[in-house]
Amino acid sequence: MSIVPKETIEVIAQSVGIPTLHADVSAALAPDVEYRLREIMQEAIKCMRHAKRTVLTADDVDSALTLRNVEPVYGFASGDPLRFKRAVGHKDLFYIDDREVDFKEIIEAPLPKAPLDTAVVAHWLAIEGVQPAIPENPPIDAISAPTENKRIEHVKDDGLPVDIKLPVKHILSRELQMYFDKIAELTMSRSNTPIFREALVSLSKDSGLHPLVPYFSYFIADEVTRSLADLPVLFALMRVVQSLLRNPHIHIEPYLHQLMPSMITCIVAKRLGHRLSDNHWELRDFSANLVASVCRKYGHVYHNLQIRLTKTLIHAFLDPHKALTQHYGAVQGISALGASAIRLLLLPNLETYMQLLDPELQLEKQKNEMKRKEAWRVYGALLCAAGKCLYERLKLFPGLLSASTQPALRSNKRVATNNPNKRKSSTDLSASQPPLKKMASDASMSSMDSAAPVAGTMDGFSAQLPNPIMMQASSSGQMADGIAAAGAIRRGQEGNHHAQRVSTVLRQAWKEDQGAGHLLASLHDVFGEGIFSFIQPPEISFFL
Amino acid sequence: MEDEEMEKKVQQYLHRKGFRLTELALQEERNRLSTTSLSDVSLSRSDNDPARYYDGYNKLRTWAYNSLDQYKHELLRVLYPVFIHCFMDLVAEGHTQEARSFFHRFREDHELMHSRDLQKLEGILSPLHLEEMDLARSLRENKFRIKLCEYSYELLLQYLQKTQALVMLGIINERIIFEVSAGQPSLISDDADVVALVGTSKDLAKQINQKEVHWGLIEDSVEERMEKALSDSDKTEAESKDADAEDNNKARNSLIKKSSEGGKQGGPLNKKLKKDKVVGATGKNNKSEASMVSAAPRVKPELTLPATPVEVEQSILEDLRNRAQLNNLALPSVSFYTFLNTHNRLNCSSISNDGSLVVGGFSDSSVKVWDMAKIGQPAKTSSSQGENGSSQGEHLSLTSEGKRPYTLFQGHSGPVYSAAFSPFGDFLLSSSSDSTIRLWSTKLNANLVCYKGHNYPVWDVQFSPVGHYFASASHDRTARIWSMDKIQPLRIMAGHLADVDCVQWHVNCNYIATGSSDKTVRLWDVQTGECIRMFIGHRSMVLSLAMSPDGRYMASGDEDGTIMMWDLSTGRCVSPLAGHNSCVWSLAFSCEGALLASGSADCTVKLWDVASSTKALKVDDTKAGSTNRLRLLKALPTKSTPVYNLRFSRRNLLFATGALSLGS
Repeated sequence: MSIVPKETIEVIAQSVGIPTLHADVSAALAPDVEYRLREIMQEAIKCMRHAKRTVLTADDVDSALTLRNVEPVYGFASGDPLRFKRAVGHKDLFYIDDREVDFKEIIEAPLPKAPLDTAVVAHWLAIEGVQPAIPENPPIDAISAPTENKRIEHVKDDGLPVDIKLPVKHILSRELQMYFDKIAELTMSRSNTPIFREALVSLSKDSGLHPLVPYFSYFIADEVTRSLADLPVLFALMRVVQSLLRNPHIHIEPYLHQLMPSMITCIVAKRLGHRLSDNHWELRDFSANLVASVCRKYGHVYHNLQIRLTKTLIHAFLDPHKALTQHYGAVQGISALGASAIRLLLLPNLETYMQLLDPELQLEKQKNEMKRKEAWRVYGALLCAAGKCLYERLKLFPGLLSASTQPALRSNKRVATNNPNKRKSSTDLSASQPPLKKMASDASMSSMDSAAPVAGTMDGFSAQLPNPIMMQASSSGQMADGIAAAGAIRRGQEGNHHAQRVSTVLRQAWKEDQGAGHLLASLHDVFGEGIFSFIQPPEISFFL
Repeated sequence: MEDEEMEKKVQQYLHRKGFRLTELALQEERNRLSTTSLSDVSLSRSDNDPARYYDGYNKLRTWAYNSLDQYKHELLRVLYPVFIHCFMDLVAEGHTQEARSFFHRFREDHELMHSRDLQKLEGILSPLHLEEMDLARSLRENKFRIKLCEYSYELLLQYLQKTQALVMLGIINERIIFEVSAGQPSLISDDADVVALVGTSKDLAKQINQKEVHWGLIEDSVEERMEKALSDSDKTEAESKDADAEDNNKARNSLIKKSSEGGKQGGPLNKKLKKDKVVGATGKNNKSEASMVSAAPRVKPELTLPATPVEVEQSILEDLRNRAQLNNLALPSVSFYTFLNTHNRLNCSSISNDGSLVVGGFSDSSVKVWDMAKIGQPAKTSSSQGENGSSQGEHLSLTSEGKRPYTLFQGHSGPVYSAAFSPFGDFLLSSSSDSTIRLWSTKLNANLVCYKGHNYPVWDVQFSPVGHYFASASHDRTARIWSMDKIQPLRIMAGHLADVDCVQWHVNCNYIATGSSDKTVRLWDVQTGECIRMFIGHRSMVLSLAMSPDGRYMASGDEDGTIMMWDLSTGRCVSPLAGHNSCVWSLAFSCEGALLASGSADCTVKLWDVASSTKALKVDDTKAGSTNRLRLLKALPTKSTPVYNLRFSRRNLLFATGALSLGS
């Protein structure tokens, strides 16, 4: 039947003082009421259109009523569209949230701020058909979408003469050209000035830079190959890349193919910088993180992006003829890609690689101190990567410690417990983080003296790492005794824990995490105690 | 025996004359008579059964949907009229509930094509409403005209005959006129054209559209005189060059002839001055760009036109010389005026010809005028101040004059729905829901006249291209022509079936076009006040109109975002285009007519290529009804600002206005 039911008419009749309305009357009135309502809405919509709006307001209904010479409905005037709320429990019943207001409150309240007066501002929506990228115009990505539509339209337009555009010279505005020159100059010669920092901020924020992206990507690719020996320039270039990647208004995907080789070069090049003292490690780390961020951001669009990248990296890593610096870069590159990349790519090759690395690490076998330092760098990077992976694994199963099923350890090891105190674990986490970072970047490099400051539960690692002999022992896998001893000490230190409280639930979880147990054991084989710094201290204490 | 013979003769007669349906009905009748009285009884019983509509329609529908693919779309066209008449019959017989359920059951079939009509019809609940509602009445009174090819028509007849679908047959007989054409079924793409036409309005339109329209430009306009000066100088070269282009030559010859007449009136002194100025380096450029306009024929003005002051003429000439040439490769620059802090109260806005004045009409009855030249200057000196417009406005009001940065015109007593500047920017018209039109002087900042004549809100008001005269459109279903010096309208154009929503002058001032809620656009002769063209094709209310500068074409935009181009002389649609996602508030042609700009509630300005599509049309002019889509050249999105108004300046700079609407 009609939208307005008879009952509604009866209710309205009662509200205007007609207690009993004959059923026939309400039945006859209902359709007419609906018709009148529709009529009013039709007029109201006309008023809305002429007020150039697409949302109906109470004012429109009032105007429509006035048009029909009906008294308007008072009390609903509002500049905004009414806000309806859905009635709880009903699918399509709405009401206006009309709360009661205390008069006193209104009177006592300070005067509201006067609304701002209407103003007119002018800007260029387009200059000769091209939208300038200014804040008043919508950002570029909104613009790039319709161009595709346009292309489709072009195809559809048969009958019409389609003008074929000859390849045109890409015209850059004067301002953009100057901007580009300035940035290039800063990058090449003054990358340590504060101005360069400002420039980077501008690169990462400005909305009108899109036309320059091809020039930048060419510039970067070009300069990276040319100035491999100039570390500051390389660093500056990578920072430019970083800023460009951050800029939300730039559509950089089409240029990634040009930028990726340069970035990878900065990770795995044999030599970066011309002096031995140049800290090219930092550049490699920086670029590795950059590449990883690209993978995270665009990996879903270009599914083979990461595959190609890892191929390059693993290739560099597994080639024994490559320099240690290249190995280092590869390890950092992979480890920046995340725990799963480490687990799948690094860990399976770890043992073989360590055999290769071992001779380089030892004072007796590698006389060249430079080479040895490099080897320690690689070692540190590997340790860090493996630790990261392990840490991720353990974080996945926060509550449990893994049983080591490795035969060598099984005899004297038992397991772990749940750390019921989450907060504690997280603070531990943060506690363990800085030293490991530090370790990765410089601790192992500067051999003897760096260990001392690392305190607390970490000392085992820090103290032992610089000691090549100790490490050698651990890596050879004959460490059972040593571990037991260390474990005993730790247990003594944190004796308040109760390893025996292993519930059946936990036991279940172990099974799932036996992988992690294996992992730890094998990592332990390779790295010795060094790896323990990646496990949260309370847990490690029980692990041992 | 005699009867039979008689019947046979009648039948033969009918057959000869081609009254197939009547013939069929006759047969039906006879069959019925010859059948037993039993079926007679059953028939009469079913006569009052509301379900028979449902069954009949349902069967017809199933049949149509299962028919041959090639003829299906033609047969489906029959469904809509049958559907609405079934519904209205049911209502008329008082079966409201059945009518409802019938309507809802089949409504979605027609939703795509006729949603707006359906919305209206849905409200019909009693026989009384049928009388009262215009749409229903016109549907009842008029017949649908449906084009079918011969074979589909036969199919339909066979079906109706075989199934004895009397109710359907009755409706089809009564309400539909078939235009049977031999040969192949029409294209699916013509569907819109074929079904949207309703009964006699189509006839009327046809009849009306027979009349002659002189769409040419006014002779002896400033532009023409300039043209002439150019053509004089170029004549010697041009004659040899353009020998191949016959059309062009003719046009030019006639033009030269006329302009020499015009020159006499214009006064030799004036003319010489212009000639000297114009014949410069820019001369050739201008000529080629204006060729589309100059090719148009010239007509005499039917109104006595006001004289343009000399200094105004000078500035126009200056503008013409500096006009940027636009085509599908050279797009215009767009200057956008954004209204800030309007609180949803801005109803309309308009820009003066040179873009220096911007007016806004507000729902609080006020009219505000901004002088952009004044605002622009201090803004330029302190351009580093930042992009925050409102603070800039505040700042200005405080520093420069110590008061508000606009001129406030108060006088209306209802929302202002339209405002328009005179061609030279010295007068301003505003129309309001208080049913008055007011004339303001932008020089004196005062109200000069209040024109009372309409009885309902005046939706739109527009100055004629030469000033002095103006046209208004109102809710009272009329459009009126006024002159500034009389408080009574000069002409009343009545004929639209619903509100007249927008009005636009033809370039030669002899015609006005009106767009209406009845989904038609009409062209009226200003001198006689008669409707001389009716353009049918829009599916919702027409919101905006624009005339091409050569006077031959007209563009109209509607509520659904469709923009249509019409040829004034033939009354046909040149190119429909689904242009926007929402209401098209404004349309504007570039000065030489190569581009069409449209502004919409979907927050975009779009630029369309008119030149190439009309060119294509000239090539295959014979092919009637060919639907050339206008080519979209560029869509310029704004930052959540619906575009209210567009205007090309005489130098072909595009001005646009809109109110920033955040949060919605």
